[in-house]
Amino acid sequence: MSESVPKLSAAAGATPEDLTRALDKELNSKGFLLTSAASVINLAANWARTGSMWPMTFGLACCAVEMIHAYMPRYDLDRFGVVVRGSPRQADVMIVAGTLTNKMAPALRKVYDQMAEPRWVVSMGSCANGGGYYTYSYSVVRGCDRVVPVDIYVPGCPPTAEALVYGILQLQKKIRRTEAFIR
Amino acid sequence: MPAETQIKNLTVNFGPQHPAAHGVLRMVMEMDGEVVERLDPHIGLLHRGTEKLIEYKSYLQSIPYFDRLDYVSPMSLEHAFVLAAEKLLGIQPPPRGQYVRTLFAEITRLTNHMFNVPALALDIGAMTPLLWACEQREIVMEFYERVCGARLHAAYFRVGGVHQDLPAGLAEDIMLWAEKLPAFIDDIETLLSENRIFKQRTVNIGSVSAEDALAWGFSGPMLRASGVPWDLRKAQPYDAYADMDFDIPIGKHGDVYSRYMVRIAEMRQSLRIVKQAIENMPDGPVMTEDGKVAPPKRSEMKSSMEALIHHFKLYTEGFHVPAGETYTAVEAPKGEFAVYLVSDGTNRPYRCKIRAPGFAHLQAMNFMCKGHMLADSVSVLGSIDPVFGEIDR
Amino acid sequence: MNQALQDLGEYIAGRLSEEIDGQEVAYDELMIAARPDGLIKTMRFLRDDSQCLFKCLVDICGVDYPDRERRFEVVYNLVSVAHNQRIRVKVPVGENEAVPSVTQVFPSADWYERETWDLYGVYFSNHPDLRRILTDYGFEGHPLRKDFPLTGHVEVRYDDEQQRVVYEPVHLTQEFRTFDFLSPWEGMTRQLPGDEKAEEAES
Repeated sequence: MSESVPKLSAAAGATPEDLTRALDKELNSKGFLLTSAASVINLAANWARTGSMWPMTFGLACCAVEMIHAYMPRYDLDRFGVVVRGSPRQADVMIVAGTLTNKMAPALRKVYDQMAEPRWVVSMGSCANGGGYYTYSYSVVRGCDRVVPVDIYVPGCPPTAEALVYGILQLQKKIRRTEAFIR
Repeated sequence: MPAETQIKNLTVNFGPQHPAAHGVLRMVMEMDGEVVERLDPHIGLLHRGTEKLIEYKSYLQSIPYFDRLDYVSPMSLEHAFVLAAEKLLGIQPPPRGQYVRTLFAEITRLTNHMFNVPALALDIGAMTPLLWACEQREIVMEFYERVCGARLHAAYFRVGGVHQDLPAGLAEDIMLWAEKLPAFIDDIETLLSENRIFKQRTVNIGSVSAEDALAWGFSGPMLRASGVPWDLRKAQPYDAYADMDFDIPIGKHGDVYSRYMVRIAEMRQSLRIVKQAIENMPDGPVMTEDGKVAPPKRSEMKSSMEALIHHFKLYTEGFHVPAGETYTAVEAPKGEFAVYLVSDGTNRPYRCKIRAPGFAHLQAMNFMCKGHMLADSVSVLGSIDPVFGEIDR
Repeated sequence: MNQALQDLGEYIAGRLSEEIDGQEVAYDELMIAARPDGLIKTMRFLRDDSQCLFKCLVDICGVDYPDRERRFEVVYNLVSVAHNQRIRVKVPVGENEAVPSVTQVFPSADWYERETWDLYGVYFSNHPDLRRILTDYGFEGHPLRKDFPLTGHVEVRYDDEQQRVVYEPVHLTQEFRTFDFLSPWEGMTRQLPGDEKAEEAES
């Protein structure tokens, strides 16, 4: 086991089969999982997390159209396990798609606070990234990172659906790098 | 003697984040059980100060703001602004420019209805139409991309014409697509038009009489569904609409179902215009030759000093528009979209009021939903086709 | 179309000589200048008279002219579906004056008047529910006035200590850069400055 774990963790894209095999071997030989196998659990947890990221439908403005197109048949985010949820309680990822205004900011934060941990935020489009075309307006928040912590920024006005898919894949990469459990 | 009971109405907060709100709408509803007693839409959650920003930008820089107003039908809105500026400048685009604009305004109307009709269906429980429609919308976005480089926010209509001519082969591809699209509309209709559940959710919901529709400032499909034959493309034709042969579908009952039917019929009429625009498209330039408004050709800039100076001045300072004011309206897919443009003779608009059709429609929500069930308010909302970019501005 | 508009304008001016200050046709659009006290009567007339039938009020907006004695102008745009005509009614109003609300004539005026109140601070008397509509809850000032700064006065940020969104004075790393293009060298007008005689020489 001890030699198989580093190998697995080194290959971040280990298939589920490799993973279950490793876990089975560990359980069969010892009957329990040792803390030394935490990286296996890490892998399992991250595999589960990246495999079913459920974003919240937070379409604010123009980018919402491209976000909807990314969910629709041509780009089909469903095949990455990305299924939209209408409720923040069921969501892991919030895609802030569009201009965030001062009036909307408290509501955005409230929705973010309602999401269960672990949670991630994708900021989509230049308005959400930093105000974009509306930076100098009296009613626009200059970047949604002033209100919620952002993990991935997707540039563009609006970003194409492809760009959003790429952003989601980048977020998956980022999640794989993190330790699910702190020892 | 029975004890006096106080029955208090229940207040329900809908939104601002709700999948059926078509964006960011907050509605405070006073409910008597399941029945809506009073409905107070709170808008402004996407108020971005567009009108103020336009006062600080030149005319060319203002055009992209119009794309971002109604992001489901971007080019139609540019059309209003561009026509208003042209009216004040006293210029006319060349015939080919007018035809290209008409062509793309109608393609935009198709995309808008291809999004709105399935979204209404989605709100009341039918998922499939949206899946099918988005595939068609992707094709339209490809046309957008080929003609202007962007999938959504085109900034293609310019004062004096359009930015560039159609690339080679695009007209043929649009024609091929237009041939195939009626089959798609038929598919949508087989799913919805005679569907028992769909009809139960839409027939006789949110009915508005012709008188009321006018008094509430309705326009576009909302007004026509109530039986008022009023379409700016026919009544006050702009660009090449006067040359086009098409019909105006009129509804009878003014309910959600009529609005759906009017939109479906409008799509078929739009296809007729698309075909005619391509078939009858004249040759020639797409942009006015007036060097004080239109940028010079790149080849000219390489050899002519004057052209270079003009290019520099046009893209830094922009053109000056003579003082005056105009209220110019176009028939956007959602209704009468207008720009009230006041110019003081400088290179920036002094005041640019944007008249959004959705604003008038949404304020009648209380009027339309009173006495209906809570669930019906969602289908009424879907039928008025709100897009908050233009309502909140 | 133009002649019909001219006739209509004269007809209205003749019938409403007490209430309106003048009429004008420009860019094929008819404009009449009304006075606040006669506004309701003017609107009723425009709606009900068989020559007008402007039954649809499509738009109300404000315009700010800080140099004028009566600073604001409220602009009403009406459509007559029956006659296929448009008309624009303009009412000048000072900063501390009120315009009578036309909600009793046109129900659609409700939100438009709220919007004008919100953005310009023009007060509409007898309006049933004059609240702010577009700007933030608790917003101060009227943003579309010419003396309101483009970037506003406050911006929001989430405060980790207070666990809520807080409002703070605006701080920008780079101010909005606005250029004055009104120097004598700017040549994008058809007539060059100092060359006013060119047109006379041509004709």
